[in-house]
Amino acid sequence: MSTAWLTRRVLLTLAMAWVVATIVFLALHMVPGDPAELLLSTSGAAPDPASVAELREKLGLDLPLLTQYGNFLAGLLRGDLGNSLVDDYPVLQEIGLRLPRTLELILAGTVIAVIFGVPAGVYAAVHRGGAFDRAASWITALLLAVPVFVVGTLLVLLLAQTLRLMPAGGYVPLAQDPAQHLKLLTLPAIAIAKGLAAVLFRMTRAATLDALAHDYVRTARAKGLSPRRVLVVHVLRNALNPVVTVLGLQMGTLLGGTVLVEYVFNWPGLSTPLLRAVEGRDYPMVVGIILTISVLFLLINLAVELLHAAIDPRVQA
Amino acid sequence: MSISRRSLLGAGLAAPVLVSPLFRQSAQAQRANGIIRYGLSAFPPNLQPWVSTGASAGTVKMLIHRSLVSYGPDGELRGELAESWSRDAEGAWVFKLRPGCVFQNGDPVTADDVKWSIEQIAGEKSTAYMRAQFQSIERVEIPDPATVRLVTKEPLVTLPSWFGNYNTFILSRKSTANEPIGAGPFRLVGQERGTSLDLAAFDKFYKPGFPKLKGIKFVVYADENLRNAALMSGDVDMIEYVPWQSMAAVEADPRLKLDNQEGPFMDVLFNGTKPPFNDPRVRRAVAHAVRREDIVKAAFFGRGKPLEGLPIVEGTPWYDDKLAHGWNYDPARSKALLAEAGFANGFQTTLLSTAQFGMHKDTAEIVQQHLAAVGIQCELQLPDWSTRVSRGMRGQYDMAIHGVSSDNNDPDGLTVVLDTTLSPAHGRSFKVDAPRTIAALARGRAEFDQAKRVAIYKEMQAAALEEVPLVGLAWRQQGYGMDKNVMGFVNLPGALTNSSGNMLEQTYFG
Repeated sequence: MSTAWLTRRVLLTLAMAWVVATIVFLALHMVPGDPAELLLSTSGAAPDPASVAELREKLGLDLPLLTQYGNFLAGLLRGDLGNSLVDDYPVLQEIGLRLPRTLELILAGTVIAVIFGVPAGVYAAVHRGGAFDRAASWITALLLAVPVFVVGTLLVLLLAQTLRLMPAGGYVPLAQDPAQHLKLLTLPAIAIAKGLAAVLFRMTRAATLDALAHDYVRTARAKGLSPRRVLVVHVLRNALNPVVTVLGLQMGTLLGGTVLVEYVFNWPGLSTPLLRAVEGRDYPMVVGIILTISVLFLLINLAVELLHAAIDPRVQA
Repeated sequence: MSISRRSLLGAGLAAPVLVSPLFRQSAQAQRANGIIRYGLSAFPPNLQPWVSTGASAGTVKMLIHRSLVSYGPDGELRGELAESWSRDAEGAWVFKLRPGCVFQNGDPVTADDVKWSIEQIAGEKSTAYMRAQFQSIERVEIPDPATVRLVTKEPLVTLPSWFGNYNTFILSRKSTANEPIGAGPFRLVGQERGTSLDLAAFDKFYKPGFPKLKGIKFVVYADENLRNAALMSGDVDMIEYVPWQSMAAVEADPRLKLDNQEGPFMDVLFNGTKPPFNDPRVRRAVAHAVRREDIVKAAFFGRGKPLEGLPIVEGTPWYDDKLAHGWNYDPARSKALLAEAGFANGFQTTLLSTAQFGMHKDTAEIVQQHLAAVGIQCELQLPDWSTRVSRGMRGQYDMAIHGVSSDNNDPDGLTVVLDTTLSPAHGRSFKVDAPRTIAALARGRAEFDQAKRVAIYKEMQAAALEEVPLVGLAWRQQGYGMDKNVMGFVNLPGALTNSSGNMLEQTYFG
């Protein structure tokens, strides 16, 4: 892997992070609704204009937009995302609390998707055209077509509300009650996993079919190797490369998609403070959370590119 | 290939482990410990005792703090930190404090604390919900350590009810902005921002045997359907704001019960600073154009009833059947009023609501259709709630849909929605001229003779029908759903339903 290529990718990632930060900052400031006015009007009555002006000054909202932007970038360089306008709570602390839960959910969803998607894809490819292959293809098409919030709601209605087998939603820290924690994690993780499992199934099936058609597989069989050995050593080793790449890219996408799942299942990850902050025009909190999600997405993409480059040096060209 | 089938089956077999009885222990254990799990609809933006931050926050605050009085299960005022109250010969309100009340820091509740709290609420820089009312208290006197005497600028019959509001608490003088010290039946012992709050019983609460619960775990379920699913699945013991579409299911479930009250209502607000809604005839035309039954059916699944006058509860002394239907559905009359106002061919206007809450959006769509039928073409504007609030306060609308409760069941509780001379608010019309309605409210507030008050408020209703500071649309039910074993909780009647959180002090598991 050449240093110049690596440097270029890292710089490009940083530039994209800056663009994202700028877009988020500007977009939020263009949305109607003054945070100072909203904060002072909790009783539903219009606040005194002098009090609004005083609060705007205190929060730095009276400064020119360019100055606010400069302060924001300077804070970013110091690793300071600022404090919530609502209760002065540090944004970084809030993200520090919530991000691990979001990542846990994504990780659990990914594990479920891999456990079901990859073996099913291999099995379907090996038994191409069989009953399982046909049924699984239909099911995955359905899983991809149905939005995640519909699946989430159906899971809640069936398993929680009707059968009372699972909790409807919520969160308990792992250290406090491991069993309940796992139980609460299950449904949202399944909801997250459903789309990814379908993608992995299709990718694995296609890649396995492709590998099965190669001469080296025929040669391996002709040498008298067992079907299991042919599959594990010769087929899967080649077929799984594109699957790993897709998995990495999809994990990045899940970062955004998980917001909806967290809301549906009351999983207190990044979505709860994000939605509250958008509603309350809590600029630092919104920018901080979206920036975190975006940077993570970019980092995952970078990691996938690096991995890809390590596997196949041609991509550095 | 024979390996994958077994692997897949093995993975599938692990699932039932997760639904085994072992995993149900957590919920049962909490109930056995006397801790109720309550599904809250919104996390309190803050718990500042005197600032209005919504009914959900009010539920939590009522349990941590106490005031001089509160509302009992029958909706009548009852003593809390005050054991009695009356007017003296000079017309001042005198509150006698209950002996033995202590704050959660162990200090006794004194008249000095009451005086300090009232002065903080009425202060110049106060952001208290009841600030405007408390500024009509001329001075607070302390004749003895257990007595507080409130001298008002004008006679005020409704003053005791101010202390029943869930934004009016008596705090210790040692309180700070970040650490208010209350005298409620529960202490806040933990919280996770945006997610949950934990309350524990205060062992020195002044009512012997109360609270009956050891603690309350509030878990926030912002989505109404998930909140309901949490109740039906047994994740929580009780929820507020049962969605209307789910009320029948809760009623039908033998494990659950529903406690419903009609109190909140939907209405149309107007911007009175510009044509056409600065003309009361046009506002009356709107009032006669809408068939309310459609709103009750479509927006509230039949869980409510039409409101064709001011929101005065049927069966109370203030109710008058004729006045209650003064804005009956009558499209012909609506068109005639429009013609009289110079809009025989109708006009185009805007209708502000929000897409964030289904009941607001659904109500707005039905109103839009009915207004179109009489010639008023409305462009629906459905921003998010924050924008709706902001535009409402600034008067950046022509008509707006709103849902609200009055402060209490006395007609004076309607001041908050009818008195358009108060500072602009998203929940009342913007600078609509309604002088006779507002004058009647003031007279009713100053009158101590019940028969005269009844007459005044009927005059007020008649005036409002003509001046139209708002148009009533529909009463809507507000329900608490709970496990059958939850006992002692009462959904307070009428507009007091939002104060029902107070009843958690007498709630227990049967």
